Amino acid sequence: MKLLIQRNDLLGPLQKVIGAIEKRQTMPMLGNVLVETSNGKVSFTATDMEIMLRADVEYPEATQPEAAAIPARKLLDICKAVPESSTISLVADNETGVLRADNSRFTLVCLPADEYPTIEHAASSAAVVLPADVLRELLEKTSFAMANQDVRYYLNGLMLEIYPRGIRAVATDGHRLALCQIEMEIGELEKAEQVIVPRKGVLELQRLLAEESGDVSLLLGAKHVRVVTPNGEFVSKLIDGKFPDYQRVIPEDASNRLTISRKGFRESLQRAAILSNEKYRGIRLVMTPNLLTLEAHNSEQEEAEETLSIDYDGAELSIGFNVQYLLDVTNVMKGSEISLALKDSNSSVLLTDPDDPSAQYVIMPMRL
Amino acid sequence: MIIHADMDAFYASVEIRERPELRGRPVAVGGSAEGRGVIAAASYAARQHGVRSAMPTGAALKRCPDLVLLPVRLSLYAEVSRQIQAIFARYTPLIEPLSLDEAFLDVSASRRLFGPAAVIARRIKHEVREELGLVVSTGVAPNKFLAKIASDLDKPDGFVEVAADGVQAFLDPLPVSRLWGVGRVTEAALRKRGMHTIADLRRQPEEALRRQFGEHGRQLWRLAHGIDERPVVAEHEAKSISHETTFARDIDDPDTLRAVLLDLTEQVAWRLRRHGKRGRTVQLKLRYDDFRTVTRAHSLREATDATQAIWQTVSQLLDRELAQGIPPLRLLGMGVSGLDEGADSDRQGDLFASTAAEGKAVDRVADDINARFGGKVLQRARACRQGRS
Repeated sequence: MKLLIQRNDLLGPLQKVIGAIEKRQTMPMLGNVLVETSNGKVSFTATDMEIMLRADVEYPEATQPEAAAIPARKLLDICKAVPESSTISLVADNETGVLRADNSRFTLVCLPADEYPTIEHAASSAAVVLPADVLRELLEKTSFAMANQDVRYYLNGLMLEIYPRGIRAVATDGHRLALCQIEMEIGELEKAEQVIVPRKGVLELQRLLAEESGDVSLLLGAKHVRVVTPNGEFVSKLIDGKFPDYQRVIPEDASNRLTISRKGFRESLQRAAILSNEKYRGIRLVMTPNLLTLEAHNSEQEEAEETLSIDYDGAELSIGFNVQYLLDVTNVMKGSEISLALKDSNSSVLLTDPDDPSAQYVIMPMRL
Repeated sequence: MIIHADMDAFYASVEIRERPELRGRPVAVGGSAEGRGVIAAASYAARQHGVRSAMPTGAALKRCPDLVLLPVRLSLYAEVSRQIQAIFARYTPLIEPLSLDEAFLDVSASRRLFGPAAVIARRIKHEVREELGLVVSTGVAPNKFLAKIASDLDKPDGFVEVAADGVQAFLDPLPVSRLWGVGRVTEAALRKRGMHTIADLRRQPEEALRRQFGEHGRQLWRLAHGIDERPVVAEHEAKSISHETTFARDIDDPDTLRAVLLDLTEQVAWRLRRHGKRGRTVQLKLRYDDFRTVTRAHSLREATDATQAIWQTVSQLLDRELAQGIPPLRLLGMGVSGLDEGADSDRQGDLFASTAAEGKAVDRVADDINARFGGKVLQRARACRQGRS
């Protein structure tokens, strides 16, 4: 395989797929990236057998299919280290690859490209074509709430659901939940199809989608999820488990409602959070007619108090939360205002954007 | 200096104290012969007839037809155990209980207040007898290993002191089976190589023992020289809580190993909860039949004291090892470290509270029942598949 390519054209796709390469591999090939040329493009594929990432870049010179499996991290580090304006020449076969750039030459040990593993994905049971930015938005608005290494393994991922009238993403770590649903015409679909995409896959998919525009295909299968973008592809195994009944935890009887400037609320939270530490993240919200007070204490008995004037005529309420959970929501929301709906001091709060009903956030209180 | 305090025939002695008319008669505590029970403890009078703990009750009655057999009353023994600990606590806060009836005490810092360790040990013996009507054997020595041997040497009502300059003279004549970690298998192996007493073993080069028995051989060599640097750790300041068990026979049956592991997990989780601790790192310890010891650990995102959460983690660690194919095990252990005092996780509400709360409720009920009746009355069913009672 021969390539003559601009340094940045090589670096971009490599950075998109490198996340699939684990620091330590169970088999040597999984440390390599598969570089393939064909039909006017070069493709870069990386996998850890759980997820597979492919990023393409235009390469008009490619005339016939050629491939090489090159040590991924070394290739990336070399690309990063050579001058930005370099043109890189890469000549590789099943045993060695020689990379030249400006005054540098590297010889790397390669592996037979035809032995590069693939994740077998069977036919999908639900598929939808949607704009890349819609899928991106679904993930951005929800993925922050995924659990990380929770014993409830089915929470360590993101639930994606295609239902007859749209597509929905839900993530929860048991303490807070993020839900985003976007209505769209979904061709023929007998019933809703639900999958849980593992945490790592979700984070890598977001990276792959970062600069994509145009339409992408989302395909849900029994064991895999697959996303095909104009310039790449993502395949991930699924978490085999039952996602909790998210509908049940969205409060419906939260009659105490207030609306507040998102920016003002976020800044107050950030200031109050200064007095919290990793062990103690509690903050108290006190709601009285037209006034919201935020109170934070730490273990040294220091205090922070923030007051915000609000439009509120509900009951007087005092409720504690992990300040980070509130900050996470104010950070992913886009609108100018946030609505909070609460039932009482022991029940969850529902946060929404009054101008955009697509996303809903639920946070459980913390006893302070 | 360390004191090892070990109650003499504890359960039986407590029963006799409750019923003075039984004094001098062969008394045992245990399950009935009809129920295929076993002896949990036997008085010294019963021991003279050959009755031993862990012996089937039927066999015990054959050896000693006059045996007075009493049902086990663990809650009573637990209460008495607390009273004994309260006496220990007069002399040092550094108390490491091993079970209801034995404990290590580090009295090094108590000398100025109460005098030398031997004096403290005498006072403890005296106070336990006067206040509780029970007899405790004590061993006084520079470290835990020696103190434990010493307390056992002169039972009942033993008092043995090993001075710092008399360690070797004390150890040398003892049989190798006195060393920690020397069971029947190791003893046979040592004897085959001509090592009968601790002196025989001590004269071997450390390297030779290490070659023959691995890391365990080094440990034996150190013990034979009276070296044991493990500190007495009071449980309330423990950095980890763990439990392990050495099998009488090496075990490779996955179901039995899982059952034993679940049993260990329940005990560790119970101790966590009792001390109001939560741990983040769950550890599995395996010793193969060739004495190689390996540990595997997994850290959770949040500290926990829930049996279910710890079990899920540690059983996954074991399953992973079993899937790789491992030699039979002579020891299985598990523990939880990275302890904190229930931080935010304690107070944060859970969206799916019913499942988490169910687990908590089960733990609480089990703890209550086990505290009331002592020991493992209520266990997860899978922990009962061990074929040992």
